Amino acid sequence: MSSARPPFDISGMATTQRTTRRHILVIDDEQPILDLLQEYLTAHGYRVSTASNAQQARNVVEAEAPALIITDLQLADTDGLQLVGELRVLLPGTPVILLTGVLLDARAMEENLRWKISSYVSKTAPLQTLLQEISRLIQG
Amino acid sequence: MSTDPGSPAPQSDTTLRRVLLIFGAAALVLVFLVFVTLRNVSQSAETASLRNQSDTLLSGLDALQVTLMTAEAELNRYLLTSDARDQNVYQGKRVELREQVAAITALLASAPEDQKLFIPVTELLNRRTEDADRLLALKQTGDAGALRQRLIDTGAQGDLRELERRIGQLRDHHIALLSTRDRDSSQQAQSTRWIVIGGLVLELLLLGGAAWVIRDALATRQEAARLLQTMNEQLEERVRQRTAELSATNAKLLAQNIEDRWAKQATEHQNRYNLLIIDAVSDSVFVVTKLMNVSRMNPSAVHLTGVEPSGLIDKPFTGIVRLADGEGAAPTYDPFARALAEGHELRSKRAIVTTKGGQSVPVRLDMYPLRDRDQVVGGVIILQTIASSSLS
Repeated sequence: MSSARPPFDISGMATTQRTTRRHILVIDDEQPILDLLQEYLTAHGYRVSTASNAQQARNVVEAEAPALIITDLQLADTDGLQLVGELRVLLPGTPVILLTGVLLDARAMEENLRWKISSYVSKTAPLQTLLQEISRLIQG
Repeated sequence: MSTDPGSPAPQSDTTLRRVLLIFGAAALVLVFLVFVTLRNVSQSAETASLRNQSDTLLSGLDALQVTLMTAEAELNRYLLTSDARDQNVYQGKRVELREQVAAITALLASAPEDQKLFIPVTELLNRRTEDADRLLALKQTGDAGALRQRLIDTGAQGDLRELERRIGQLRDHHIALLSTRDRDSSQQAQSTRWIVIGGLVLELLLLGGAAWVIRDALATRQEAARLLQTMNEQLEERVRQRTAELSATNAKLLAQNIEDRWAKQATEHQNRYNLLIIDAVSDSVFVVTKLMNVSRMNPSAVHLTGVEPSGLIDKPFTGIVRLADGEGAAPTYDPFARALAEGHELRSKRAIVTTKGGQSVPVRLDMYPLRDRDQVVGGVIILQTIASSSLS
């Protein structure tokens, strides 16, 4: 679990005060993915916390409620969807993006998991797609 | 932009030289003015001194003339009255007369021409004094006849007229001299005035020229400074723009770098995930190239054939699997290669796997072509073992 300063500024938000930068929680059991997402989203003006397991995710949520949650489907200690269900109870209105490399039927995902997740983004999609989804869910 | 603000150092040197030249000329004019003024003042002082001297001389000559007349009157009175008091008065006037002559002689000490004019006066005075002494002596002897004759012989009136003429001549000479000196003094004053005015005008012109040169240099310098400032501002603006462009490019490159890393990990992740799926399948799965060489096999296939992947990768699939008899496989005919070449699937074909130990295992074979943009690049072959009885 960590937060980082932006290494570069793309959106012009790098100088924004900490309190005004939106907080995003990223949950994934692969550290390289966590690092990449943290670097990318921080550069785009978000404040990012990362968690590599369910317990760390719970700690982050308790410390400071995120504006959005990005989670993988497969975690080391639990299933991502189960964790999302748990966090949904704590944060009913917080949008959740399921970011996974598991082959899923997007339509089936949308129909069956609409109550749990707000959006589904494949790990093979460009980061720009993820960024657009974040903007849509947080600012839209 | 090709703006050249000029070279300040040479401009400054030229200006300095010009200003120094003008101030040098002004200094020369000033020195000339001082010199001329001092000379004229000196001449004026000298003229004033000479004028005073002339005035004193004229006064002395007037006094001498009066004293001479008085002395002659006193002498005549004494000759008529024989009164000792008159004689004393006369003697006093003679003393006075000598003093006045001495004073005038002293005044004329530095004027030889005037001395020449005054010498006849002194000679006449001396002669007159001598005549007076003789008359006094005759008076004291009481010889009235001799005294009368002496008075007739001396011709005192003639000497006195000559004295008067000579003194008047000297006076006229000095009055003329005084007039000349007055005129010269006036001309000197005029000359001094005009020289001073001219010099001041020239000084003002030179100072004006120096001011103009300095103003011109300052204007040039201000213009150069303005141009330099403009250039600096333009340069700073270009630097700002370039910095902004570089920052944007850098940010873009960094973003692209992250995207690339993300794509790479996504590919690796997907590849790994796909392999996991293949490996998890319980059937024997072979991935073959377009030429039917094995490029991948899952653990179940390893278990079926008894051959490790290193022994089969890049080897012909037909080396271990053949279609079962009755499927019409001629020696020169490869149904797998043909199916791939034509993009056909093979479904539920019976085939025989020859294991590493030489055992023949009957299997059911399905083959699916792998397409990449409508081009067949290989195939996936799935083998399911079947009982020997089913095969037969």
